[in-house]
Order: sequence, then C-alpha cells, then structure tokens
Amino acid sequence: MSQATEESASEPSAETIREIGHDEYDPVGTFALIGLYFLILVFLWFFMYFVEFLGNDPTVVSGTAVVVALV
Amino acid sequence: MNVHTYEKIWLVAAMVLIVAFIATITYGSVGLGIAMVGDQQPTIEPTELGDDERFGEPRVEQVGENEYEAYVVAQTFSYQPDPIEVPEDSQVTFYVTARDVIHSFSIAGTNVNTMAIPGEIAEMTVEFDEAGEYGIVCNEYCGPDHHNMEGKLHVVSADEFDLTDLSADGPDEVAVGDSVDVDVVVENRQLEDLETTVTLEIGDETVSEEVTVPGGDAVETTLSVDSSALGEGDHDWTVTVDDHDSSGSVTVLEELDDDADGGEDDE
Amino acid sequence: MSNVYIDQFPAEAKVIRAAFYSSFLALALGGVFGIIQTLHRTDFLRFMDSVDYYTVLTAHGVFLVISFTIFFLVGIFTWAVTTSLDRGLEDIRFTWGWYSLMAIGITMTGVAILAGFTDAIDMSASVLFTFYAPLQAHPLFYLGLVLFVVGTWVAGVDWFRSWWAWKAENPDERIPLPTFMVLTTMLMWYIATLGVAAAILLFLLPWSLGLIETVNPLLTRTLFWFFGHPVVYFWLMPAYMMWYVMLPKFSGGKLFSDPLARVVFVLFLILSVPTGIHHQYLDPGIAEGFKFIAMTNTMFLLLPSLLTAFTVVASMEHGARQRGGEGYFGWLKALPWRDPVFTGMALAGLMFAAAGFSGMINAGMNINYLVHNTFWVVGHFHLTVGTAVALTFMAVTYWFLPQVTGKALWSRSVALGQVVVWFVGMTFMSNAMHRAGLLGVPRRTAEPQYEGFEFQAAVGSIGELDAQIALGGVLLTISLGMFFANVVGTALNGRSDDLPANEYAGALSGPDDAPLVLDNLKLWTAIAVVLVIFAYTFPLLSIIDRGGLFGPEVIPFPLTVESATTLGFALETAASTSFESAGEIATSALTAVMR
Ligand code: HEM
Ligand SMILES: [Cu+2]
Ligand SMILES: [Cu+2]
Repeated sequence: MSQATEESASEPSAETIREIGHDEYDPVGTFALIGLYFLILVFLWFFMYFVEFLGNDPTVVSGTAVVVALV
Repeated sequence: MNVHTYEKIWLVAAMVLIVAFIATITYGSVGLGIAMVGDQQPTIEPTELGDDERFGEPRVEQVGENEYEAYVVAQTFSYQPDPIEVPEDSQVTFYVTARDVIHSFSIAGTNVNTMAIPGEIAEMTVEFDEAGEYGIVCNEYCGPDHHNMEGKLHVVSADEFDLTDLSADGPDEVAVGDSVDVDVVVENRQLEDLETTVTLEIGDETVSEEVTVPGGDAVETTLSVDSSALGEGDHDWTVTVDDHDSSGSVTVLEELDDDADGGEDDE
Repeated sequence: MSNVYIDQFPAEAKVIRAAFYSSFLALALGGVFGIIQTLHRTDFLRFMDSVDYYTVLTAHGVFLVISFTIFFLVGIFTWAVTTSLDRGLEDIRFTWGWYSLMAIGITMTGVAILAGFTDAIDMSASVLFTFYAPLQAHPLFYLGLVLFVVGTWVAGVDWFRSWWAWKAENPDERIPLPTFMVLTTMLMWYIATLGVAAAILLFLLPWSLGLIETVNPLLTRTLFWFFGHPVVYFWLMPAYMMWYVMLPKFSGGKLFSDPLARVVFVLFLILSVPTGIHHQYLDPGIAEGFKFIAMTNTMFLLLPSLLTAFTVVASMEHGARQRGGEGYFGWLKALPWRDPVFTGMALAGLMFAAAGFSGMINAGMNINYLVHNTFWVVGHFHLTVGTAVALTFMAVTYWFLPQVTGKALWSRSVALGQVVVWFVGMTFMSNAMHRAGLLGVPRRTAEPQYEGFEFQAAVGSIGELDAQIALGGVLLTISLGMFFANVVGTALNGRSDDLPANEYAGALSGPDDAPLVLDNLKLWTAIAVVLVIFAYTFPLLSIIDRGGLFGPEVIPFPLTVESATTLGFALETAASTSFESAGEIATSALTAVMR
C-alpha cells in the first residue's frame, strides 16, 4: 500500500508530463552542477589554505627544525 | 549493481578531492614544518604548579641566541604572565598548562591556538619576525567570567627587550649622619652579559655604578648616600636600571629610637 | 478507509505525534534562547547578566541538538519502519516505554539546566552541551542524559524487533530502503553512544555524586568526542533519509539509485565513529600521529556525503525532466518551487553543500589552528545541524504533520515563506559567523569585546559582522514563529478527508540491483567495531597511561555537591592502579606486536 515500488511509483502527479525510465535517463544537469561544485571546492580549499591560513602567521612550527619561510 | 557513468566519474573526482586535501595538509606538516600540539610534554599536577620549576613562576626565559621559552599558566580568568613580552626576530616556545579547568591560549589574529588542559602541557614553537601587540583570548568556556579572560603578548624591538629583574631594598629610618645604604639586585635572565648602570636617586643626590651582569646570573651591589646631605625628614628614592625602576622611602631622624628595616619595593 | 498514515497505524501515529510535539517544544525553547544570546553577544540587547549567558547557551545547545533533533528523528524512524515494512510495531506499550524514558530523561536534564537561572534552587548545569570536566554539573543533568540515551537504545530495539518479525515472514526479501537506513543509523548510534555512556557512568556521574574525587579531563573529553562526532551523523542520517526517500517524490521523480543509498549508509556506519579526535587537533596529550589518522578517516567520511549530493540532485533532476524540464540548467525551473516541503528540503540541501566546504576546512589537521573554537565553527554547524537537518525537519513536518494528525496543513504559503525566511536568515548569520571566526572571534563567549585589543578585519568590520549576525538571528526567529503558527494552526484544524497517501519515493535503480552483501548488517557492524578499536585503543591507552584513569587532582568547578567519601577514594586508588597496569601491559604487548 505504502511502498511506492518501481511499478506503482509515487502517484504520477498531475504535473508529470512524461515517464522517464532508468535507461533513458542521463543526469546531465546534475553532472554539470556537481562539476561546478567541484571547481568551487577546489578553489576555496586552496584559497583557504594558502591565503587565509598561511597568511595568518605566525603559525606553530616544529621546534628547532629547519625554518621554512611561511608565505 | 549498475552505477551510472557520470556517477562513476564523480566517485573518482571525489576520491581525488579527498586525497588532494590530505596531501595539502601533509605538505603543510612536512614541507612547511607546521607542527601540531602533541604529547611531547609530560603530565603535571595542576594543584602543584606552584612547586614546579617552570610553572611555579610563569615567565619568559632565553634558551638560545634567538630562542626563548615562555611558561604560561591559564587559570580562571587570566593568564600568567601578563603581558608576555618577547623580542622580535625570535623563536619562542610556549608551554601552556591550566591550573583549574580547560581553557585555551589563542593569540588573536594568528594561527597560534591551543587548548590548555589541566594536567597536560601544550608545547608550541612560534617565530615572531616583527614587533607588534597581540591579544590573547580564551576561546573555551571556563566559567562565569570566561568572557573577561584575556591577556596580551608584546613583541618588542630587540633594543627594547630585556629579561632584567631589578629589586632594591633600603632602610626605613636612619639617623642623621649615617649613610643610607640601598641594596640592589640586578638579575639578567638573558644569555648575553648585561652591561649597564645602576642609578640611585634620592632627594637631590644621585649616585651610580657601572655593573656587568653575566648571562643567567645576578649581581648584588649597594649604593650609599650620606644622610646629612639629605637632611631630616622623609625622602623618596628610586633605583633605575635601563627601563626598570624600584623605589622606596627613608626617614632621616635626629636620633634613632630603635632600628627598623624595610622600605622595600620591587619593580 | 484512506491511506493516510494515521488511518493505517493509528497507535503509532499517536507516538509519533507525541515525539513531534516534544521536539517542537524543544525547538521553541531553543529558538528563544538562540535569539537572546545572539543579541547579547553582538551587544544589541543585553538584558541579563553575562553570567547567565552560559546557562542560556547550555539550554540552546542541549534543547536543540539533543531534544529537538532526536525526538523528531525517533518520530520519522518509527514512520519509516512501519511504513516500509507495512506492519505496526510489535508492542505499542514498549514503544511508549522508550518514549517516556526519553521524555523523563530530558526533563531532568532540562530542569538541572534551567535551575541555573535562579539562586532559589541550589542546582546548576551551565556546563554547555559538551560538559567538559572539571566543569561540573548537578548529578540530575548527567542522570537525565543517561535516561534519554537509554530511551533511544530501547527505541532501536523496538525497530529491530519489527524488522526481525518481518524477516521471519519475508525471508527472501531485501530490507526495504527506509528500514535499512533506520537500522544502519541505529547500529552506528549504539557504537557511538558507548563513549558518552562510559564518560558519564564511569566518571562524571560518580564524580558529581562525590563517589570519586577526581577525573582525567583529557580522558572524559576524548570519550565525549568519541560520541560527539558520530552524533552529528545521528542528526544527519535521518535528514539524508528524507532526501533519499521523500525528496525525489516531491520533485516528481524517483530515487536515482537505491543501491548507492545503501552504500552511503553503510559507509556512515563504518566511518562515523573512528574520527572524533578531529575535534581534538589542538589538545595537548594526544600524539600528532593519532590526529593524522583521525583526519584521514574524516576525509574519507566526506565520500558518502559527496555521493549523496550526486544521487539526490540526480533524483531531483529526474523529477524535473518528467515534469518537462530541459537543458543543462533549465530543468531547475521545472521543479515544484511552490511546494514548501520540496523547497525547504532543496534549500536545506543547498546549504549543506556550503557546509560541506567549511566542514572540509574543519577536517584539515593543521589548518585547524586557524578556525578551532572560533565563531567559524558555529557558522559551520548552523549550516549542518541548524539548517541541513533543522530545515529539512521543518519542511517535512508540513507533510508529516497532516499524516499523523489527519488534519490538513494550516497554510501552505506561510510554510513556503517560513522555509525561505530561514534560508535567508541563515545565509546572513552563518556567513558573518564564518568571517568573524577567521578574524579570531571566539565562540561561547558572552562579550567577545575585549579591553586590551580589537579584532582586525581586512574587509568590513566587526560592527558590520555583528549587525549581519543579529539580522540573521531575527529572521530565523521570525521564521520559527511562522513555523509554530503553522503547527498550532494545523493542530486546531478539523480532520480532513483530502490528504495525500502515505508513500515514499520509488527507485529508478531498485534494491534488486544492490549486491546482497550490502544487507549484511552483522558484517558492517563488525567492520565498524574493528575500525573503532583501531582508531581509539592507542589514543585511549596513551591518555590513561599518561594522566591516569582518574587523572590528576582537579578541583570540581562549580562545586554543586560536597564530595569525598573514603569509599570513593579507596575505590579510585584500587581501580586506577589496576587499570594503569592493565594499560601498560596492553601497550607493551601491542608495541611488541607492531615491531
Ligand atoms: C533562531 C535560530 C537560532 C539562532 C538565532 C541561533 C544562534 C546561535 C548563536 C549566536 C550561537 C553561538 C553562541 C556562542 O558561541 O557564544 C549558537 C550556538 C549554537 N547553536 Fe544556535 N541558533 C539558532 C538555531 C539553532 C538550531 C536550529 C540549532 C540546531 C538544531 C542550533 C544549534 C546550536 C549549537 C549546538 C550551538 C553551540 C552551543 C555551544 O557552543 O555549546 N542553533 N546559536
Ligand atoms: Cu578560560
Ligand atoms: Cu566532528
């Protein structure tokens, strides 16, 4: 009754104008969006690490070890 | 299980992202030498900090040419020492512990940030290239007055900086004609010898003496002024060494009823 | 007879209603405290003493992330199990039993916290929801938490009983997806709560009762975070469940992949717990190596969330295309944006994408120096639990409330406005919190304005950030007001015959595509346990070895109960020596093996 299985689906609502099955569906829009998200993440990660974090020095370094100039 | 090609690509991209994140952090640790607060230090009894060699007297100490150690105690609702003073162009290792509850020791606007946990000692080495003033905040809730818990860190220019301690001690009362002897102790906690002048000013009289205080050591000396030159009455005195001073006062009497000592004042 | 939930399962609907109303009560209280502390911190309105701020903050934290979220999720888990197995719970008295345990427990904890406002009662628990020792709360606070957690354990048993009974009758069928999600979540929860149970039962409760004199602050803190990280998945997994099994339906489509949904929940089960040390990157007394391991696990825990992002968006896109959507981005316009349930969940998901970014920063080991315990963190979790979870829960309430009351929603347009206002308010508040955190502004502080220095902003100013935080807080409060108007309005409505059927989304790629091994809960639980043992044995042994099981002498703060009985002391010495030697033997044995 409640489990909307493959066949019964969620009641094809009034707005559904076509049925798209598994094999005919390519989530290109999702792929585009998630690609964009990926780029944003990569950019923000590097920005946060190399600009916000390393630019916020002084930072804790390892004792007497070689001192590498932090950006 | 059939996974759509796009989703497979995303899976790979996600893994690449994850590995890249871990790689960046590793680069920070290995390539740039950023160290985490860890377990290098032994534990400590928070109720016995007073007897501890390092935390009994929270302070900054010089341990190498440009190397310093700062022993810091966080407690409700302040830091000791406060302010913390270190020179520019130095490498400072902070040792931070807590006397009572969990606090933090966080230098605002920098990446110097650690929890201060009773029983544990956080060790952080930091380089200060330029002179400046920083605020220290406690960013872990530690009780009703947590928001008032703050401290200061002064990074001062090399010529302003010293680790000199001055204390002077003189008599409360002297009889006219006797000399007023002020005992002075100059302590130099830096490694290099300190060549300086100790000056005693009392009334219109000034006497001074050149001293050389060896690194990590202290010298004692006595500066004297003849009380007849001062005349009867109360006289304030001040001993100065570089930027430090210590003062007290002495009463010159016609005749001394009973001997007294004191009038001591530390900087 | 209709196919609305209340008609299908009237007895269960009643329990769910009770859980929902308990949850909403906590949300209302938490919201009031939220706006009070927002205006206090930002110095727009300070009508109480700053000392009381911490009582307010404790109440805000505990009521929202313990009572609001967990009461709501036990409600939807009950719905999920009964609906997807198509059978009532085995014994409804048992169900009321765990509900009562939870309710009594949280009442005790709540009383202990709220008593902190008055001096008339000698009781307080202003220890925040993390209750780090040596801060000490009244025993009632800990006791209540224990009862509450035990209540959730029993609830899990209830759902497992349903599943066992169902399996006996359907031996060859796949576990229906919603039930699968409930069971994996509960298994994760059982493992996770062991940490907090140990912290409270072995140490904090006896200590607050004066039976033992001291505790090891680093040990109880570590045990707290053993639980404290996975608890966020306990909030999040029900929200994910909603995105997987409800959102596709409201979008007019189907779940893109049932097997991947199972993979995601399995990953959460095995990876959620062995990561808690990422909250302790800046703790002295834990070796850098352990911190690195925790980071690696944490980073891999991003995977299930990133996979979810794809699957959920693809399911929405499927709906949009069935509704006539076209193009790379044009399909977005075909989504049912006028439906508050859909829009609320979609906006919650969008915010979660942003939260994913700040979470990645939090997960990074050394970059933690920049953000640890700053306002950044508060900005982060108002996006996760405060929006991804809370907004999803509020949005689905607009569908669930009619299901469990049989009454039509009071106003759909108020509902739509509510979710949008929340989104806008949270955008202001959370963004400004993140930025303030980068300047070093601390969290959990009544007056983050200091005498000796000022926070330096490169862009904008502290004043501007405070204004945005306050504006955001006000919008959020308005949004909460709209939400409660709808809840009350709906409760006062009469019964309606015109409610949608109780269904959840079908799947494009169904359970039959999922390898059978995915349903092998014993296997995944075993792996999860092994990973936890791996990640925690050494750190815990080392902490005990260093500081002792009962730690150094610490002074309980604040003192609420006179402590120290000789018995307690004797017990402590005996126990700590034996534990210590056990710890040492184990450590040396393990190091020998490693060599
Ligand atoms: C009206 C809406 C809300 C407002 C105005 C608000 C405001 C705030 C503020 C300003 C803080 C920071 C206090 C400080 O660190 O000094 C805070 C903390 C917190 N909020 Fe909210 N919040 C709201 C809703 C929520 C929701 C819905 C949740 C979760 C479901 C939540 C969970 C938390 C938690 C866990 C804390 C941290 C408590 C602690 O540090 O002990 N908040 N909130
Ligand atoms: Cu503090
Ligand atoms: Cu976490």
